[in-house]
Amino acid sequence: MAEDTATASAEAPEIVIDERREELRAVFVAHLGEAVLDSVIKPGDGLWIRVATDAWAEAGRVAQGKADCKYFDFLSAIDWLPSPYGRYEDSALDVPFPPPMPERSAAVPGYAGGESRFQVLASVAKTGTDLRVLLKVDVPDDDPRLATWIRSYSGAAWHERETHEMFGISFDGNADLRNLYLPSAFEGHPLRKEFPLLARVVKPWPGIIDVEPMPGEDDEPSEGEGTE
Amino acid sequence: MGLVESGKMPKPLTKLLNLSRKYSIWAYQWGLACCAIEMGAAFASPRYDVMRLGVIPFPASPRQADLVVISGTVTDKIVPAIKRLYEQMPDPKYVISMGSCTNCGGPYWDSYSVTKGVDQIIPVDVYVPGCPPRPEALLEGVVLLQERIQNEDMAARWRGEQDRQEPIIVG
Amino acid sequence: MTLTDAQQLGYINAQAADGRVNVELETDDGMVLNMGPQHPATHGTLRLVARLDGEQVTSADVMCGYMHRGYEKLCEVRSYPQVTTLVNRIDWLGSFANEVPFILAAEQLMEVEAPPRAQWIRTLLFELSRIANVSLFIGDLALQLGAQTPAFYAFRDREFVLNQIESVTGGRFHPNFDRIGGLKDDLPKGWIAETKAAMVRLRAFCDEMEGLVYGNEIFQSRTRGVGIIPAAVAQSYGLSGANLRGSGVDWDLRRDANVGLVYDQLDWKVWTHPDGDSYSRCWVRLQEVREATTIVDQICDGLPSGAIMAKVPRIIKVPAGEAYIATENPLGQMGYYVVSKGDTGPFRVKIRSASFNNISIAPWLLRGVYVPDIITILASLYFILGDIDR
Repeated sequence: MAEDTATASAEAPEIVIDERREELRAVFVAHLGEAVLDSVIKPGDGLWIRVATDAWAEAGRVAQGKADCKYFDFLSAIDWLPSPYGRYEDSALDVPFPPPMPERSAAVPGYAGGESRFQVLASVAKTGTDLRVLLKVDVPDDDPRLATWIRSYSGAAWHERETHEMFGISFDGNADLRNLYLPSAFEGHPLRKEFPLLARVVKPWPGIIDVEPMPGEDDEPSEGEGTE
Repeated sequence: MGLVESGKMPKPLTKLLNLSRKYSIWAYQWGLACCAIEMGAAFASPRYDVMRLGVIPFPASPRQADLVVISGTVTDKIVPAIKRLYEQMPDPKYVISMGSCTNCGGPYWDSYSVTKGVDQIIPVDVYVPGCPPRPEALLEGVVLLQERIQNEDMAARWRGEQDRQEPIIVG
Repeated sequence: MTLTDAQQLGYINAQAADGRVNVELETDDGMVLNMGPQHPATHGTLRLVARLDGEQVTSADVMCGYMHRGYEKLCEVRSYPQVTTLVNRIDWLGSFANEVPFILAAEQLMEVEAPPRAQWIRTLLFELSRIANVSLFIGDLALQLGAQTPAFYAFRDREFVLNQIESVTGGRFHPNFDRIGGLKDDLPKGWIAETKAAMVRLRAFCDEMEGLVYGNEIFQSRTRGVGIIPAAVAQSYGLSGANLRGSGVDWDLRRDANVGLVYDQLDWKVWTHPDGDSYSRCWVRLQEVREATTIVDQICDGLPSGAIMAKVPRIIKVPAGEAYIATENPLGQMGYYVVSKGDTGPFRVKIRSASFNNISIAPWLLRGVYVPDIITILASLYFILGDIDR
């Protein structure tokens, strides 16, 4: 709800109230009520709203109608689980493959919180202004499935196709969830964190092998130099 | 025609044949990504003007082409099309692989959808490195290929006696 | 052929998804026309499968992915400075513009601001890449309508802009010049005068094209009233750039949501056109090139002196947080949603590229048009494959 938020502005030395974004948030709170689970305003920059899973389609309608954000920007998802491969920095042939998956509790959500591993994120905007709403929604872990936004924004169709392909999240009501990018026989969802980049698993990143001292520096690598 | 097939080409005739082949290369542009624009600059812009080297860059179909310039990122999805294109071309045919992506995957060496080098699917005669290579680099690749064509023994190639030559690397 | 429609389309789609190339197929009620994946009219490796009734398109399907390189995944395993090398290659005609929103997003998370001179030079290079991009579009547009000469002119005059970009950044195409906190280098000596001379040439190029292409009767009759996008539909599909402004929506992020660049200190105009047809989209682009040349001139005159790099640590670690920055790139809005966990590289990067949204309207737009109009509509939507597939 609106009261328990404003974390971003509360930490700043002076509290800046972004009235236009407060108003926009009030529209969502007024029409979605309890379904607005959390929200964050970065004054002068952005507005994040997290809505309940069941209210996703309704959130799209409110955004398009009452909030007057007619412009569909993008829709995608975030996998909050840390990658089991880290940043592949110490990958070598002797590392067991596949590595164990991180604990489910290791998934720490970002702005506006969240309880699930996957979150769908959509951005809509008001043309002619710099107002933009970033809507987030939790996707159930066991059955990644969400309502479609096609009724509110026609442009969502392709974005949902992409999200389906990259994260394996289904959208009820979107009949056309064929692969957009990859061949139909492709296995796996590339943007899930457990999807390995095999070239990196078998061959370490060349950037960390040939670390040479910069000209004019001491021969021994300075702090952090040799490992980054 | 019969002379080549008989495998008994007199030397001066070979030279003449090679000279005419060298200066009438029909190059098919298989532009895929960024390099396609540099290829366009080399082939279609007045500043670089590839036609002065005797290369005709606008064949209507790969069936009329002697040379194909593969420029840009080769993804696993486009591979069947490239393979088919190569098979459509009549012999003798040459391939220039332009740019890091086409040579070896380039900046996408760790990607899940990029083929790490077009030489995995078709044989390559000239590699032009760079990301993207300057048009001049592509022109040098064309000139080096022309030199190779000049020194080829068509009859031996026809008989299958000539081994595949080592690819040229520009630069 | 006794296949049902559904079977037929299923077959085509299965082939398309596997990247196999099929030919034209005739069924009882209509014909299926395949264009691409390598077709001169599709700017690279786009594939279009259109169902025809006579000369009219009854439905069209766009197959992309032939240029999918997995940017969003690769960004997760690169460090912040390495990402700019990668994202250069998304929209390969206006490379520098790709770097800017990403760098701005990282700067916002790090709470670093580039010094004024760096911001001005960024804006300058941003506009130069717009000119380099869109001037080629104009030549290519004419090429697709059957005129070769403008393409030669475009390649000729574009080289002058590339020369200027190259003498600053060292790269004709992929500068990789933007850094978190500023720029890699300052402008070379004598560059300002050369740039102004190049801008004079480019303005002459615009005038030439306006007469040669836009004033051409054939061009007008092939583009006017063709492929009309109403403003509401354009917004619902998230079109941006000239495609949106060509439909009469007056929205330009450079003016309305300017972050980190100096557009608010310059005198320039946002061009719109009320018609929403192919012609208006192309027309808006031409005006934008001309406007960009005057912006470049103004920046050349008003360039402040000072440092070009703020103080940033050598090993860049971006504090945890989320930022979304979008800028008005040559093709339209390009945004990066960067999620950081305080590491040396981003945790997740969502790349919102302009062409992906711009081309997603094609199935809607192509329904009911005639076959030759497919070419002009696709040309006027103006997409770059790397920007669609990423």
